[in-house]
Amino acid sequence: MRQPKIIIVGGGLAGLMASIRVAEAGVPVDLFSIVPVKRSHSVCAQGGINAAKNQKGEGDTTDKHFDDSIYGGDFLANQPLVKRMCEAAPGIIDLLDRMGVMFNRTPEGLLDYRRFGGTLYHRTAFAGATTGQQLLYALDEQVRRHESEGRVRKYEGWTFLSAVLDDSGVCRGICAMDLRSMEVRTFAADAVIFCTGGNGAIFGRSTNSVVCTGSAQSALFQQGVDYANGEFIQVHPTAIPGEDKLRLMSESARGEGGRVWVPKKPGDTRAAKSIPESERFYFLEQWYPKYGNLVPRDIATRAIHKIVFQEKLGLAGQQAVYLDLTHIPRETLDRKLEGILEIYEKFIGVDPRVEPMKVFPGMHYTMGGIWVDNENQATSVPGIYAAGECEYQYHGANRLGANSLVSCIFGGGIAGPAAVKYAKNLEKGSESTDASVFEREKKRQQAMNDALIKQDGSENPVTIWRELGDLMTEHVTVTRYNKNLEIADRKIQDLIARFKKVNLSDRTQWSNQTLNFTRELGNMLVLARVITLGALARNESRGAHYKPDFPERDDANWLKTTRAKWVNNDIQLTYEPVDTSLIKPRPRRYDAAS
Amino acid sequence: MSKGFRPDLSYLLRKLHSLSGIVPVGAFLAEHFWSNSSALVSADRYNAVSHELQTIPFRPFVEAFAIWLPILYHGCYGVYIWLRGKSNVSDYPWVGNWLYTLQRFTGLIAFAYIGWHVYSERFLTQGKSNYEGVAHTLQNPYALAFMAVGIVASSFHLGIGIWNFLCKWGLAATVPAQRAAGRLGLLVGVSFSVVGILILASFRLNWHPFEFYIK
Amino acid sequence: MSDKKSDKKKVILRIKRQAGPSDSAHWEEFSLDWRPSMNVIIALRDIAENPVTRDGKKTTPLSYDSNCLEEICGSCAMLINGKARMACSALIDDLEQPIRIEPLSKFPVVRDLAVDRQFMFESLKRVKAWIPIDGTYDLGEGPRVSPEIQEKGYPLSNCITCGSCLEVCPQVNEHSKFVGAAIISQVRLFNMHPTGAMHANERLEALMGPGGIADCANAQNCVEACPKGIPLTESIAQVNREAWKHALLGWLWG
Repeated sequence: MRQPKIIIVGGGLAGLMASIRVAEAGVPVDLFSIVPVKRSHSVCAQGGINAAKNQKGEGDTTDKHFDDSIYGGDFLANQPLVKRMCEAAPGIIDLLDRMGVMFNRTPEGLLDYRRFGGTLYHRTAFAGATTGQQLLYALDEQVRRHESEGRVRKYEGWTFLSAVLDDSGVCRGICAMDLRSMEVRTFAADAVIFCTGGNGAIFGRSTNSVVCTGSAQSALFQQGVDYANGEFIQVHPTAIPGEDKLRLMSESARGEGGRVWVPKKPGDTRAAKSIPESERFYFLEQWYPKYGNLVPRDIATRAIHKIVFQEKLGLAGQQAVYLDLTHIPRETLDRKLEGILEIYEKFIGVDPRVEPMKVFPGMHYTMGGIWVDNENQATSVPGIYAAGECEYQYHGANRLGANSLVSCIFGGGIAGPAAVKYAKNLEKGSESTDASVFEREKKRQQAMNDALIKQDGSENPVTIWRELGDLMTEHVTVTRYNKNLEIADRKIQDLIARFKKVNLSDRTQWSNQTLNFTRELGNMLVLARVITLGALARNESRGAHYKPDFPERDDANWLKTTRAKWVNNDIQLTYEPVDTSLIKPRPRRYDAAS
Repeated sequence: MSKGFRPDLSYLLRKLHSLSGIVPVGAFLAEHFWSNSSALVSADRYNAVSHELQTIPFRPFVEAFAIWLPILYHGCYGVYIWLRGKSNVSDYPWVGNWLYTLQRFTGLIAFAYIGWHVYSERFLTQGKSNYEGVAHTLQNPYALAFMAVGIVASSFHLGIGIWNFLCKWGLAATVPAQRAAGRLGLLVGVSFSVVGILILASFRLNWHPFEFYIK
Repeated sequence: MSDKKSDKKKVILRIKRQAGPSDSAHWEEFSLDWRPSMNVIIALRDIAENPVTRDGKKTTPLSYDSNCLEEICGSCAMLINGKARMACSALIDDLEQPIRIEPLSKFPVVRDLAVDRQFMFESLKRVKAWIPIDGTYDLGEGPRVSPEIQEKGYPLSNCITCGSCLEVCPQVNEHSKFVGAAIISQVRLFNMHPTGAMHANERLEALMGPGGIADCANAQNCVEACPKGIPLTESIAQVNREAWKHALLGWLWG
């Protein structure tokens, strides 16, 4: 029998899980990653991973997890697969536990669980405050084992450029570039799984890692892979502002009892500790008595924006609020949150065990992504699969904290076997694809590189990127006005025009990071438009997408998935219904008492 | 799996190097200081102790296998280890790193010194060294200085070696235990140096502070 | 707003450059506008946007590894003023100027500040740094683990494979294949886990070969340099003890 071959692009949680599943099925895997997979962005996930194991005797069930996720996502997610994910979550925790993840433990030696946003249950398993790192390492170790036994071959330091599509539009492999030799090469495969993460770089500064550019998604989009719900971008309420990066301050800080407040007096410049209780405004607790500091992220983020921009209560008049842990015993903090407290201490130079932290919302997560079917993680192009943050499936209009890790592992776990099944059922594998199909794609990509290297322009790619980031952050994050979105789209098109005149300050052919960044930037610009146009069209407020001019959710007109297509070299928005067969949409009111 | 497992030769040689520094070489150094400190009592006492040691049965074998060969191995393999390391104490002047560098230099000095010491006190005397001979040698200021340097180097090499040994065999595994091991090493280095210098003083100045025992 | 004077404050960097693995190295100096809370990565990005040396010569942007920018991915270790550190957490205001930046010296240079740390990942393979699970299908819960083991294991599991411990180790150099503290510490981690312990001997045996644990000479620089504060010297001591016990007892009693 023909031995199929699978390529996986991206070595974060989803990509590694998919790799393990494919390798387990006895099918060889080529795993491509820009960075050594152990350095993937999944390491930045902090707080934990959700699973309704009901280990605190609160009566938690997978149905409640499902309901919280759908409600938290403002009913935009297709429900059946989310339900399957919530049902699979306890098993995923067991699996990770068997892989040796150093989860925090109870005195009995069982896994400990903490609270997270958007739920009233202790549902989040955690390993200190570096859960993503610990989970990624566990999967990385399993993949390394498969690698040492010859089932996985890693291409670390390679970047994906494009899919190789044959004349009938079926994916037959990929075209990738070695980031050292800058060699452009095609690789044949019967199916390709993309696990390429989020697109924070489009917003300039975000909590994402440098590699989270959305470049692969955009490249695929421009080859005919549909992109869904691009306008849904999560802005995390508590990040540490920085010029290079907004460093995440995990929701677990609030899950462990952290409180968000500002002084009641505008422009109060007293030291935080000298402000008496009665002069502090715990606005989340007051506005949302039931969930308090643990309202979902979109709600908390808008509340902070309201405090800062409308009530003018930002700390000393600046864009910041307090996230206060100082009332929690130091020993508890060190045991459960040390990782994130160290980040604050290292980068800000203040001990958050003693002084309240100053935080502000920052772009964090891409709910939207590559369109996939709600069965197999299959995209709109045969042979291409997607899993993890790069696809749109699980989080609707707003992701609940600690659901991302579970969705990555669940999605990767589905995509792997689905791709294997597809590959095995193919009548003709990629080996029978004409060599000219690969040669054609390689030439096309090589030509793009050559053009960039040679052209004598006037624009610096880093400058264009900075402007794009500022534009997107200003107009396309928390509060969206149609007027501004139109401006943003026009300006992105200006940037695209300027991009055509880009001048590479590095024209060498060895480890040319400028060339790679410029190619990514070209893709970022297109995806930025997908996000902006999706936001412009959607005249309602739902989850993270908030338009003051359309403040209510509008199920009659907008309970539908945005599905962007690339038609005649342009973006075309189409819509399709959301599968709400399991839970009837109801108003989303976290401020209600019950 | 692990049935019949034999570690690589490099592992065994390395462990043997570490162990040999404590037993027998370190133990012999302790014994040597102990017996020589009889000079602090009197010349006669020193000669009596020396005579006893010089007349043990199987002396050549004991000397060869418990002293010369272990020292030779420890010294030569130590030089080999040194050559494979690359000290960076100027970039990273941490205490442990200083000790690492110090261990190499004290070892080299001690090795050179021991070579001379064995040659002059064991072979030139045909194994019959006595108080008068040593005292005579030590009238030479260069010999005295070399001996003092050799004694201090050997003492600290053993002291640091004890610290290394306790850490590297995992006998002192926690940070507090390793700190205690460090203090123990320091104590050995200092006390051996002091005793050694007192013995030198005894020979050089004909000074016997414990002579009152036998008077 | 910052006043005129602070606008003119400059940051001077001296950066060691190397076009490729076999090219010779040279130094370039850059002068950048100072801004509050600058770190080395921000400075390198400034250079990428305006690749001009201090004396006005056009040059190329720097090649360097970076990803998470919050000291958890392990990418951006380099020598900053002669010390191995993560560039993202190296705040400009804490550094003496001119700031000297060089690639790690114990790994092959790819270009400029980017180095190849594949040796560490290969070493992880060599010591079988994983829990050998039977499969990813549903086999029920994992073993119970006491909070005590978790509290010891978790810090070890924080290792970001940045290579700082190898960089500062005098025993790691061109003459030696010493795996370094990070790898030994991973062996301790996996041997500590109830399932991992079932295969403890394989990992110990892997460390008793050339370049294994016996190459440690107890300089203890690793623990000083580790950006994650991992108790590496404790790990080395523990694994050392397990190793010789296994070698001796295995030989004596099988």
